[in-house]
Formats: sequence, C-alpha cells, structure tokens
Amino acid sequence: MPRLTVESDGVTIDILEGETILEGLYRNGFAYRIGCRRGGCAICKVDLVDGEVTYNRTVADTVLSDEERAAGTCLSCRAVPVTDVKIALREENLRRVSSLMAFAMKAAPRATSAQSQ
Amino acid sequence: MAVMRMGYMHVRVTDLAEAKEHYANTVGLYQTLEQDGRVYYKGWDEWDHHSVVIEEGGVGYVKCGFKCDKPEDIAEIEAKTIAFGYPVERMVAGENPEVGDGIRVTLPSGHQIEFYSHMTAWGLEVGTHNPDAFPRHMVGIGAPRLDHALLWVNDPGEIERFFVDVIGMWATERVRTSLDDDAHTIATWLTIGESNHDIALLEAPENKIHHFAFEMRGWSDILHAADIFAMDDVPIDIGPTRHGITRGTTIYFFDPAGNRNETFSGGYRCFRDRPTVTWTPDQLGKAIFYHQRELNERFLTVAT
Repeated sequence: MPRLTVESDGVTIDILEGETILEGLYRNGFAYRIGCRRGGCAICKVDLVDGEVTYNRTVADTVLSDEERAAGTCLSCRAVPVTDVKIALREENLRRVSSLMAFAMKAAPRATSAQSQ
Repeated sequence: MAVMRMGYMHVRVTDLAEAKEHYANTVGLYQTLEQDGRVYYKGWDEWDHHSVVIEEGGVGYVKCGFKCDKPEDIAEIEAKTIAFGYPVERMVAGENPEVGDGIRVTLPSGHQIEFYSHMTAWGLEVGTHNPDAFPRHMVGIGAPRLDHALLWVNDPGEIERFFVDVIGMWATERVRTSLDDDAHTIATWLTIGESNHDIALLEAPENKIHHFAFEMRGWSDILHAADIFAMDDVPIDIGPTRHGITRGTTIYFFDPAGNRNETFSGGYRCFRDRPTVTWTPDQLGKAIFYHQRELNERFLTVAT
C-alpha cells in the first residue's frame, strides 16, 4: 500500500489500491483547493516531489501537458500513486475538515485506511 | 425576433464511454445518433434531433448553436454580423448531422456560435396527441431540455453589444463595477425570449465555458436530481440552492470530463421593457449563491 506524504504539511496517509491522491486525502478528512474532481479544470495541480504516479483515466493535454508532467506537476484528482510519493501543495496548506479522522489516525495511524474500506 | 433559443451545445469529453453513461443515465437524455466519435442527445421535452453533442478528445467548449425562426433570418444575421465586424462563415446542411444551412460566427473570445433554422424533427418523448405530463420511464434526473450557457470571455461588455445589436437580445441582469453610468460590465445575462437568459457572459482571463444548463420542472426536481447525483457519485459544485441573479434554483455539477453542468429552474418571465437588474461586486456572493451569500472557491476559477 503506497504512502502519501504531503511535504508542505507533514502529513502522511495510506493510499488504497487504485485511489487517487485527492481521494486519499479527502477520505482521511483533509481538504485543499480542488475543482471539478474529474480532470477537467486543472485547479488541483500539485508538485510531485518524490515517487511515481500513474493516470488510470485519460487526461486532456490542455489540462496537463507533457512538459508539465516532466517537470513534476501532478493532477491530483487523477494521479494514482504507484510507489510511496511525496507531494507539495502550491501556495496553500491542507485543511483538516474532519477532526474525528485526526483522532482515528492518532489511535491507529496505519489502520485508518483499512477500516474505511 | 429571428433567434428563438439556444438549440445545441457541443463539448469535448476525455472519455466517451464515461460521458455517455453520464448524459444518458444520470442526466437522462435520449441518444439520437452516434457517428465519427460524437454522440448526439436530446431531452424528453425537446422535439429537434439534438441539443447536446459530446465529442471524444480533450475537454471544454467546441461550439453552440442558436435556432432561428426562418431561413431568411440567417441572411439577415449574416449581413448584420458583417456590418458589426465579427468574422462569419457559411455552413451547409449536413456539416452538422441533421442541421440545415446556417452561419458560423467567431466571437473575439474565439467561441464559435452557429445560427441555423432547420434541424430534423425527432418529436417529444410524450408525443403531441393527448400527451401525458412526462415520460413514464424517465431515466436519471430526466432533464427535459437544454436551457442556457455561461461563457468565460475577456470582454463581456463588448460581446454583449453583438448579442444586443445583431441578435436582438437584451440584458436581464448585469454585474457592474458600480452603479455609475460609466461602470464596467463584469458579467451579463442575455435573453431573446421570456426566460432569464439564453446566454450569459462572465469576464475571465481565459475564453472557456463555465457551464451549460438544463431546465428542470421545478425545485422538487432539483432536489431529486441532487439525490441522483449522490447515487451516481457525481461531483456537485454547489447546491441545491438559489441564484440571486435570475432567482433561479440550481445545482452545479460536473460531467466525467470536468465540464460543469447545471440543473436550473424558476426565475421570472422577462419582457423586453423590463428594467435591467444591476448587481455590484461587493454583493456577488449573494448574487451567485443567494442562500450561502458567499462564492465558493470554484465559481471564479473553474472552467473548461
């Protein structure tokens, strides 16, 4: 199970099989600036600092160009981590919208993801 | 009045299969044709061959079409457009399947808009002989018809002049920098008939489409649509809520490619002598989302 670290916030979570970065963060009670959630608007781009992601769905070139991909830009609503990855948000921080998830993660940090499956 | 309504909206989608699932089974449109990587749909309360076209590859606006009353109207719009100074070209019957001769105007924003007067008749799903109130086996949210679109353009005030002077529309509502006569128009809602808007224009750094909308039968259908979106895991941008502008009730949601759709209902009847409503930017939250009274972070940033 790949682990996702948000470098800018010091948060690490587990990513489920086939789960996107966006889905993983929202499942764990976090929020950040996102738009359509469907790969169309490019608002949820983040920097991929370390690790590898794949795209299971077609992403329009106008949304994410090859140059951007090569430079480490990652479309978080469509990017699925294939290794442990480290990302950095752009000019913002993660917001914790579910404080209950914080309790859950503190109690059993590695188990949170599995419980919600 | 030559132009009757927005007749079709044509957008790109990244994955045709996912988009077909959305527009047929969630939005509840009826597929009338699939050809050359494009799928054509109509709502149950529409009689022309199609009102929505989706095309595989990319995302966002391709073009939209306005239906005119008579063939002569097209020549008149063509002449007026040339005099106005926007590029216009002729299109021939069949260039768009089931659509007759027409013209294609390119706005300074790059958006192409077609004007036509004939489309193959398909018929209302309830028929025209002693019809029932709605189709017995409606699918998904059962959207009856295409209603309007909101385009992102660099200069809405300038393009408004085209729709007013050439097409004969008028502004039902505007957002202006102030209430002064020389204020700058930030957004405008334009109608040709008695609905609140057939097209709206919003000032933005890029020329894109913000959303296109389906007219629903009322607030209860909007609430029902929200439930269907939950079942189908459709991302909701906002709603169900009300717009201050137009007073319409709404949900903004996204298709599988990220194009924003809207279910819209209500608003007030508009007559040409009705005074234009003006909103100021400090009240934009209430103008756009009447209940929340603040914009969400997506309204002014997300478009395709």
